[in-house]
Amino acid sequence: MRRVVAVRLLHAVVVLFLVATAAFFLIHAAPGDPFSFENDRIPAEIRDAWRRRYGYDRPLVEQYGRYLVSVARGDFGYSHSLHVPVREAIAERLPRTVLLMGLSLVLSFGIAIRLGVYEVRHRRERRARVANGASLLMYSVPDFWLALVLLLTFAYWLPVLPAGQMVDTLHDYMTPGRAVWDRVRHLVLPLAALTLQLTAMLVRYQRSALLEVLPADYVRTARAKGTDERAVIGRHALRNALLPMITLAGVALPALVGGAVFVERVFSWPGMGLMAVNAIFLRDYPLVIASALVGAAVVVVGSLLADIAYALADPRVRVR
Amino acid sequence: MNTSRWLCGLALASAFGCSDRPGAAGTASGDVGGTLIITQPGAEPTPLFPPFSDDEVSRMIVDQIYDRLATIPKSLNTLGDAGWEPRLAKSWAWSRDSLSIAFNLDPRARWHDGRPVRASDVVFSFALVKDPQTGTQLTPVVANIDSVTLRDSLTAVAWFHRRTPEQFYDFAYQVYILPEHVLKDVPRATLRTSDVIRRPVGTGRFRFVQWVPSQRIEIIADTGNFRGRAKLDRVLVSFATDPGVSITQLLTGQADFMSNVPIPLLPRVDSSPNLRILRYGGSGFSYLGLNLRDAKGGTAPHPIFSDRRVRRAIAMSLDRQGMLKNVFDTLGVLGLGPFARALMDTTVTQPKFDRAAAAALLDSAGWRMGPDSVRVKNGRRLTFAVLTPTSSSFRMRYAVLIQEQLKAVGIHVEIDPVDINNFVNRTMEHQFDAALFGTGSDPSRSSIKQNWGTEGIAKGGQNAIGYSNRAFDAMVDSATTTFDKRRSDALYHRAFQTLVDDAPAVFLYDIANLAGVHKRVRVQDLRAEAWWTTLPDWWIPAGERIERDRIGLRSAQQ
Repeated sequence: MRRVVAVRLLHAVVVLFLVATAAFFLIHAAPGDPFSFENDRIPAEIRDAWRRRYGYDRPLVEQYGRYLVSVARGDFGYSHSLHVPVREAIAERLPRTVLLMGLSLVLSFGIAIRLGVYEVRHRRERRARVANGASLLMYSVPDFWLALVLLLTFAYWLPVLPAGQMVDTLHDYMTPGRAVWDRVRHLVLPLAALTLQLTAMLVRYQRSALLEVLPADYVRTARAKGTDERAVIGRHALRNALLPMITLAGVALPALVGGAVFVERVFSWPGMGLMAVNAIFLRDYPLVIASALVGAAVVVVGSLLADIAYALADPRVRVR
Repeated sequence: MNTSRWLCGLALASAFGCSDRPGAAGTASGDVGGTLIITQPGAEPTPLFPPFSDDEVSRMIVDQIYDRLATIPKSLNTLGDAGWEPRLAKSWAWSRDSLSIAFNLDPRARWHDGRPVRASDVVFSFALVKDPQTGTQLTPVVANIDSVTLRDSLTAVAWFHRRTPEQFYDFAYQVYILPEHVLKDVPRATLRTSDVIRRPVGTGRFRFVQWVPSQRIEIIADTGNFRGRAKLDRVLVSFATDPGVSITQLLTGQADFMSNVPIPLLPRVDSSPNLRILRYGGSGFSYLGLNLRDAKGGTAPHPIFSDRRVRRAIAMSLDRQGMLKNVFDTLGVLGLGPFARALMDTTVTQPKFDRAAAAALLDSAGWRMGPDSVRVKNGRRLTFAVLTPTSSSFRMRYAVLIQEQLKAVGIHVEIDPVDINNFVNRTMEHQFDAALFGTGSDPSRSSIKQNWGTEGIAKGGQNAIGYSNRAFDAMVDSATTTFDKRRSDALYHRAFQTLVDDAPAVFLYDIANLAGVHKRVRVQDLRAEAWWTTLPDWWIPAGERIERDRIGLRSAQQ
């Protein structure tokens, strides 16, 4: 097991190297650079001086080499759009995105498993079909559109929740209790936007996984013993139907990372996604590459953890 | 769109100006207190440090925290010192030959950390701006200032290379006074990335509290300020990713002020019982620039636009008023020349919209109508691309209208939509046929030299369209060197008229500035060069304050 993990970690390093390389050359291929923003009060010679100072006038291969060396030393460079070292910017924003994604992941799986069971238990009834239709609808809706609808509905038409950001502008002046409540209120809409879509996807998998195991012999045996339908599904069928869901946890991470970009932008949530979008727009090269690296690392680690969890959960799987 | 009601309200607001004077009904003069939350869509601001500050939020905060030596008058006079008011300098005296000005600092002035402001701070500030190592856009602006020396602890003398009408403006407006004791140990080459400039210490009527990246900036009144404390206790700028979030914050009471409210969202602001709309002048304007040189960035003349008759025909083919109405409804302001109206001579005669005359001009230039309704000359079709930044919805809409209107006279236009970085790159490299520019300017009209004069064409210059007319250059030179305001105005008028007649650009619109503000906030004049100039004098009557206005000057819990 340890050897497998070590090999997978080695693979992860290669993947991260390839991601960094691709991000480096792709962002440099885009027109402009960190100093080509629209402000005609800044003469071209000043822009050129800035480029010289930060090495953006050097040949691309040389810049790439320097970048790799500095990353190897743990220095991800300086963000010209945020005016802080990249490492500091990521350290500040990554926990916010992890909070959003982590809560969304937990909620999505929790709701999806229950909803999947519900749909299977009542599969011949109208209410199950309605639930199934609702999840299909939610799955079909583009994530940014869903986020905008939530924003409009709950922040503008029914102004019960804040329009965006992570805390109120006056958060620092709130009492501790009110400050906690403020954080919760700001979390609701972005979390709902992320969770609804992921749940819609997972519930469909959970439902079909359950339907697959229902004809199995051990389920029939459980029924023959007189176990009620609730226990048959909840205790006997569900355990086996959960295995594909563990795999899905790894697959869900890239979707969550992608979704976080849209959701953070719509709700002005100051996390990694919003930072990456702004960095791309402002051609903040070091920040773009570091954001791509962090996103890739989250996905790689997530997949690895999902594989390990799968191996631990299913005794039939023997990892060598 | 049913706009009549809110347009009516807006017209009333405009008619009565956008200023609330202390002493209005139910208020007491000199009321202090209250919290103002400004919502601002867009990316992170540039550093809150005058030499590096160049976006709206950053300039607004910098103007509250730091001081210049003197304040430019509302008339935006940049010739001499007429109308300028003392700020950090209590007074100033010109030398007999006018080659130096001695600024006497107000002895009451203190930095926000309590240290007194000294003339050595003025000397240090100039040296920092003048040093190319600092890498500020202000270095070329202060080229005419030779040095600043110390006469005594409260008197600094600025020495100029030559006497010019704008030498006072060059120093008093362009150079903010910075704290030597805070910055002296930071190498200038690394100043831009230094931690020190993230905790600004100034002398302004507001002092810096915190900048929470991607979330907010907070400043509070400097209660012991020598120019009097700001009337508001606290101002917070809350960042949002787009105008939709900002407008929602404004409408739901989470914010009190939003500048540049997008026009399609104005009816929502107007329909809110707690908000009102203020209109104010600005320095931004937009134009269709025609590249007079080869579109591949070379120096050869452009095959279409090098002919003045074609350029004039294009200008005459465009119904500028109609396009303005189409894009802005009744809220547009027609562009008149190379400055926004606040700075522009409004008597310059504009090209008349006359498609028949435009067609005749094109005929006389040899461009004859071809079989596919596109004009042809020597086998070349009269077709060009308009480079348009996708970030500007107004310019994108204008591009479509221009395409449609020029089609009527046999000119085929391709729209070339690009992202803003690409737009900036290609215009700087002169790699375009025509482009829809959006620009702003300093109060000084002399910037026209760099933007439209021959000297601005060289590599690194700001004359992206390559316009060159020696007569224009001479008039601008004379206008910028004469000390007689009337003569200067007359020369500028002739220069502007020459430019408009030569039609290297079609001036389309001034950027409409409309702000949404909570009704309890009493706003002083929103000035054209910077709406925030009077922010320290905005106030909230005691009887209308809401919960957040009662926070006072206390520190945060965390």
